[in-house]
Amino acid sequence: MNRGFMGKILIVDLGKKQISQEQVPDTVYERYLSGLGLAAHMLYNRIPPGADPLGPDNILGFVSGLLTGTGSLFTGRWMVVGKSPLTGGWGDANCGGTLSPAIKRCGYDGIFFTGISDKPVYLYVDDKKAELRDASSLWGLDAVEAEETLIKEAGQGARAAVIGPAGEKLSLISGICNDRGRLAARSGLGAVMGSKRLKGVVLCGHKRIRPFSREMVNVLSRKCNNWVKFQLPLGPAVGMGLLGALLRILPTAMAMDGMVYKMILRKWGTGGMNQMSPEWGDAPVKNWKGSCVDWPMKKSKSADPDMVKAHEIMKYHCYSCPLGCGGICSINGKYSETHKPEYESVLALGGLCMNEDSDSLFFLNELLNRAGMDTISAGATVAFAIECFENGILTKDDTEGLDLTWGNTDAIIALIHKMINREGFGDVLADGSKVAAEKIGKGAHKYTIHAGGQEPAMHDGRQDPGFGLHYSVEPTPGRHTIGSGLYYEMFQLWKKVKGLPKLLPFEIYHKNKKYRASIDQAMQAAACSKYMNVINGSGMCMFGSFVGIKRTPTFDWLNAATGWNRTPEEYMEIGERIQTIKQAFNIRHGIDPWANKLSPRALGIPPQAIGANKGRTVNIDKMMKDYWEQFGWDTDTGKPSDETLKRLGIVDQQEG
Amino acid sequence: MSYRITQACNGCGACKKICPVEAIEGNKKELHVIDEAVCIECGVCGRVCPHNAVLDQFGKQCLMMKRSQWKKPRFDNSACMSCNICIDACPVSCLALSEPVDREKYPHGRPYIREEKACIACGFCAEECPVDAVSMI
Repeated sequence: MNRGFMGKILIVDLGKKQISQEQVPDTVYERYLSGLGLAAHMLYNRIPPGADPLGPDNILGFVSGLLTGTGSLFTGRWMVVGKSPLTGGWGDANCGGTLSPAIKRCGYDGIFFTGISDKPVYLYVDDKKAELRDASSLWGLDAVEAEETLIKEAGQGARAAVIGPAGEKLSLISGICNDRGRLAARSGLGAVMGSKRLKGVVLCGHKRIRPFSREMVNVLSRKCNNWVKFQLPLGPAVGMGLLGALLRILPTAMAMDGMVYKMILRKWGTGGMNQMSPEWGDAPVKNWKGSCVDWPMKKSKSADPDMVKAHEIMKYHCYSCPLGCGGICSINGKYSETHKPEYESVLALGGLCMNEDSDSLFFLNELLNRAGMDTISAGATVAFAIECFENGILTKDDTEGLDLTWGNTDAIIALIHKMINREGFGDVLADGSKVAAEKIGKGAHKYTIHAGGQEPAMHDGRQDPGFGLHYSVEPTPGRHTIGSGLYYEMFQLWKKVKGLPKLLPFEIYHKNKKYRASIDQAMQAAACSKYMNVINGSGMCMFGSFVGIKRTPTFDWLNAATGWNRTPEEYMEIGERIQTIKQAFNIRHGIDPWANKLSPRALGIPPQAIGANKGRTVNIDKMMKDYWEQFGWDTDTGKPSDETLKRLGIVDQQEG
Repeated sequence: MSYRITQACNGCGACKKICPVEAIEGNKKELHVIDEAVCIECGVCGRVCPHNAVLDQFGKQCLMMKRSQWKKPRFDNSACMSCNICIDACPVSCLALSEPVDREKYPHGRPYIREEKACIACGFCAEECPVDAVSMI
């Protein structure tokens, strides 16, 4: 029967050069969906405890989503999974582009690699065969060059995911690239691919993807598209910055309807928040010690959304996306075409390092994408190094003459080149700020901002404590793409899922409410985590989900695509199961959940003296315990209880 | 289910040559066979077979058509979402996204037939478009 998923996975043993396919029982999809859920089930049961993330026992998986290719919208996301060498625990990274349907068109829901090849190889899959091919001539090429070469060889219609030099050199902040510079950046999985000497994956399949009822899926998609098309004029971008300042000053906040953010994305992309976020305290500045006082609109103008948009040749849509928040830009200098820098990249390489040079933001974005290095972690690591330099922990002798001062664009560019190539001092920083602090010593760890080893994204928990919580409690710490108070408002899950805290449309509340750790907040956070697991099991985009559950009908799409007749609550339970098995994975691999707690400074310990987040501290310990309680995990240790594992039917197949 | 070739096949190889997924095997002047695990049911083998020796997935005989009579996709820009679904669905990669005509008015690309001669009239682009922006005419 047609159910949207392909029912098979491909297993590639790079050491033995063996390729086999496995049937996946329907019950796995029914319990974990596909995508991230399928991968969590696989890796929990197949990666042995204590496996070296860069060793042969680690498994690197590329997965599509259950809804991908079914006619549903926003379902072009693919995910990479593996044991993270950056955090030591569950690792995943999520990316748009065109690879997700390509995995399914080869007949698989996921492709999993184990072992280590003795020489550089890439995997080629088409309608009839899967084989490993020599990649020696590609080793050393940047991600865009390698992708172009592979697609030229495989023919039009081929899709490829590759690593750049950062992954080859096992940088723990490297990712995996597709579509000329879109990066599955987080968790350091580029290094896992590099450790396996796997340069790329090339997919040339044409299999049909068959939902249970394409007609039912399409009816839902048409309604969703009507919401996406609705657009009001937003005026010039300076208004966004001023709105941010107003939100900072007001004592109240308003529940955000995701349609507003959708319109911002449609017009400017994620960069629409480039000036607004620092103003209202959402974007960290100066390695998280600064504020809007250090990074006023006069400085953040370097990333003025209208200026960025002016470079845009055309909008970029991932597969099945009606929104098109991405953009293809043209910049002066080395790169004639580049992806529009995303908000995260702009703020990490801009405000976090106090870098006001607009051209450098475009340049560094492309440079890092081609290298296959995470812009968030790279920017954050540079900001960390600058603060070390400011405090005398690093000197020009250490930095090989680089004058690492705040906003010194030339020094920042030179340093990032060194990091990518692991040259001299760059080698110290190439694995992120936590590893760098351990190498540098001298108290440098005081200036690292990380959660479990991963640098958090450019959203400040001191403004929205939900970010601080999710950075700290997610099995992949430091991620901003799962939950926050703002996300809960936009998901509007209470409109479909029974028993969740409700918000009125555009409800106005006093800001202080956000900073009181409450059970309601814990329920909201748990709902975000569960829902995003459903989203990632479906291959959906978080931005699409922001439009709201009644307008982006995830659960209805899933029923139409699979032929199941499940309630939203049942889907949320699947999300809970996925979250719990990821946490159980971490426990098995020796991760102490408390150790993933975000660095104190980013939690307002001590609180800032000035700026939008003045005087604010996140009550993180209570929030973490309350969150764990929502999942039935031990509130002292964060470990899923036996009772919870049993309730969710998580069986430890490694122990039998 | 997949397409099948009947005993009427004379092994001319036209189907094998055009099949976009190389699902058809057979020597010249010998009966050809479709690998059902590979066949994507695009139907082009049936459209080119001069002996009408191909049955579709429902067992119905396919009739040869002149290439000039094959339907081609036409795009309704007022309905199109620029979402790339049709481009991905095409098994011969004959569709692409154009650059915007008026960047101020609509900065998104539009699908078009990049290689008209490559189109095999499978109609997958129209079938997979969720908003009926593609029709086969």
